[in-house]
Amino acid sequence: MTLETIWRALESSPIGAFVAASPWAFPTIESIHVIAIVTVVGSIAVMDLRLLGVASNNYAVTTMSRDTLPWTWGAFVIAAISGTLLFMSKATGYMQNPYFLWKMGLLVLAGLNMAVFHLFTWRSVSNWDSDCAIPLTGKVAGALSLLLWIGVIFCGRLIGFTLGLYE
Amino acid sequence: MSSLGDLLYALTEWLRTTPLVDLAIWISNLPLSLSIGTHFWVIPIAQTLHILAIAMAFGSVLMINLRVLGLTGRSRTMAQTVRRYLPWIWWALLVLILTGITMIIGEPVRELINPVFWIKMVLVIAAIVLSLWFQAIARRNMAQWEVTHDGRLTIRLGAVGIILLWCAIMVAGRWIAYAPV
Repeated sequence: MTLETIWRALESSPIGAFVAASPWAFPTIESIHVIAIVTVVGSIAVMDLRLLGVASNNYAVTTMSRDTLPWTWGAFVIAAISGTLLFMSKATGYMQNPYFLWKMGLLVLAGLNMAVFHLFTWRSVSNWDSDCAIPLTGKVAGALSLLLWIGVIFCGRLIGFTLGLYE
Repeated sequence: MSSLGDLLYALTEWLRTTPLVDLAIWISNLPLSLSIGTHFWVIPIAQTLHILAIAMAFGSVLMINLRVLGLTGRSRTMAQTVRRYLPWIWWALLVLILTGITMIIGEPVRELINPVFWIKMVLVIAAIVLSLWFQAIARRNMAQWEVTHDGRLTIRLGAVGIILLWCAIMVAGRWIAYAPV
C-alpha cells in the first residue's frame, strides 16, 4: 500500500466525499479553521511578546503561560480537527501542493521549538519569572515562534491560491 | 439555508443597480489596481497581514473579555488588562483597514458588489461602536468592571457578545470568497 492509496481512501471516505460535495461544508469548516488558527497565533503571540520583552513585562512569565496556554491548546485542537476535515476533501491535491507541505513542515518546527523551550529553558524559569531579563534561549524561542507562525499563516493562505495548480 | 441564499442573491441584484458598480469599475481601471493585478504576490501578502492583524486584535479581544468573564488573567486587575491589550486592538484595526483597502483596490468588483462584504462591514462598525462604548465605560468606572464569577450579568453578556461578534466578522470575511458575484 503506497501513501497515495491512503490519500485516495481519505478522499473517497464518507466524510471526505461529503466535505468535497457539499456546497456549504468546506467554507463553514474553513471559517472555523480560521477562527481557531487566529486564536492559536493571537494567544501564542501574547506569550512570545512577553518572552521578547516587548509587552506585559511586569507580568510573571509562569502566570502568563498559565493564562494563555490552555486557550492556545484548545484552539489548536479545533484547528487540527477542522484542518483534517478540509484535508480529507482533497487529500491528493494537498499532498502535491508545496505550500501545504511547507505549512506542515513549519508546524512541526513550531512544535519542536515549543518542546525545546519547555523541556530545557523552562527548567530555570523561577530564576527569571518576573522583574528580570529573559535568558537568550527564551528570547530566541519567542522570536522563532512568531516567525514560524507567520510562515504557517502565509503558506496556509497560499494553498488557497494554488490548490488547482498542482494536480 | 436556501432562504439565506435567496437573500444574498437579492442583495447582489440590488448592489448591481447602485453607483457602486461604476465606482468598482473606476477603481479597477486605476493604475494602482492594474499594477496589483499584474503582481501576483500583493493580494496573498495583504491577506496574510490581514489575518495576522486579526490574530493580534482577536487575541487581545479574548484576553480582555475572558478577563471580564473571570476565565483568565484573574491575577491582574481589569485596569491592568485593558491597558495591556486595548492599544493592540486599535493598532491592529489600522493594519486591517490598510490591508483591507489594498484588497479592495486590487479586486474592487469582488468586494464592493459582494453582499457578504457589506454584511461584514456592518458587523465591523458594530464591533468598533461596541469597543468604543466599552472603552468609555471602562475609563469612567473601572471598579464596575472588576467582575469575576459574581459580576454583573449585563457586562458578562456584553463580553460574550463582543467575542461572538468578532467570530461573525471572521466567518463573513471567509465567505466573501464564496459569495456569487
